[in-house]
Amino acid sequence: MRPVLMHVKARLIAPLLDYRWGSWSLICLYISIASGIVVGLQYDLTHPYYSVTALDLLVPYGEFFRSVHFYSSQFFFLLACIHFIAVFSKTDNYSQHDWVVLIMALVVGLLLLFTGYVLRDDNTGFSAGMIAEAILKNIPLVGNTLNSVLFSISEHGMQRVYVHHVITLDVFWLILSWNHLRRYRVKVTDHIPLICLTLGFCLMIAAPLEPEGLGITYISGPWFFLGLQELLRYFHPLFAGVIFPATFLVALLYARNQNRHFRKILWFIYIWLGIYALLSAIAWLR
Amino acid sequence: MVQTTGPNRPQHTPRRSVLAIGLLALVYPLLRFIGYEIPRKPNKVEIHKELPANGILVNSDFILFDRDNATWAVSRKCTHLGCKINYHETDNLLECPCHQSRFTIEGGVTRGPAKSNLTIYPVEKRDTSPYYIITT
Repeated sequence: MRPVLMHVKARLIAPLLDYRWGSWSLICLYISIASGIVVGLQYDLTHPYYSVTALDLLVPYGEFFRSVHFYSSQFFFLLACIHFIAVFSKTDNYSQHDWVVLIMALVVGLLLLFTGYVLRDDNTGFSAGMIAEAILKNIPLVGNTLNSVLFSISEHGMQRVYVHHVITLDVFWLILSWNHLRRYRVKVTDHIPLICLTLGFCLMIAAPLEPEGLGITYISGPWFFLGLQELLRYFHPLFAGVIFPATFLVALLYARNQNRHFRKILWFIYIWLGIYALLSAIAWLR
Repeated sequence: MVQTTGPNRPQHTPRRSVLAIGLLALVYPLLRFIGYEIPRKPNKVEIHKELPANGILVNSDFILFDRDNATWAVSRKCTHLGCKINYHETDNLLECPCHQSRFTIEGGVTRGPAKSNLTIYPVEKRDTSPYYIITT
């Protein structure tokens, strides 16, 4: 059994880890930023859903540019996650400070993705925004303040979310990733096939948009939010929306080879991911 | 000039401490200021048409019912996490599409995870247009 596993690891997994996931992720981020600027020119935060619908139906090539922005952002985050897994074994020489900063960059990347969903203001986006707002408000003492700074959709519409999506989170991500990006340079000209593939994919597949309809019985959130959505069904928002995700984040922060509890932390991460995947599957199948 | 007590170690001057305490004292009022929600000005929504035969009108923020000589408007904001609830005509109930909390058409909870009833808005019914004025 053991030689078979070693063979599978050597033949199938090892080559996968050697791909340039990080470079691809960065290229997708470049595409996402460029297309985001284009989409932002027609986005109206006072009438978010109307302007997104108009982008798809009225604005010439609007559907294409929105699709490019949507999918390149998804690819950026997914590839960043794969890159993280692929290089995990080579990160022993990172200082704890560098490690924490890079994990935070991943979190900010996820928030960028999330705020993008919310800004659509369609059925999924609006509901996801309201749920995020309710979760924040359930945090004792600082909940209202946090909501006021980050979302406050009920009071200010998309204003806060827009500012953070377009400026705050981008600046944070750049500050957090600055050292990492300085160390590993990426030439855009080396990745023409990936750019063409992304653009070709977006030419054929439109970005999702879910209009509000009478009698809709189920709204499923963004793919990374599904597990959380399911958990919120059974537990208090403070546990499901804050404590449970925070345990995963803390585990990641301490998942260093030098840590004497490394094995236990790794097991915790696997189990957490397993539970989250199961919850996501249940939510998806509903 | 900064005084040092050891190699490269700046001494904490009283001025710096005062500044730190002053900044800390500002944190609480700042948090209270940011966290405060100004109560929303009441918004009057006018309905200039008569309701359809089933006596229901679905608006973006509320659902208006006019049945059996009674008129009421129920908020569409689910009391669980704020998603927008929908009216299901076949079962004559209100349901949240996010976590399937159910409410009666009068706004009472019949199934969780929501724990409290929906908000009911005051409705003024008139004989001429606007036929209904809802204060949200």
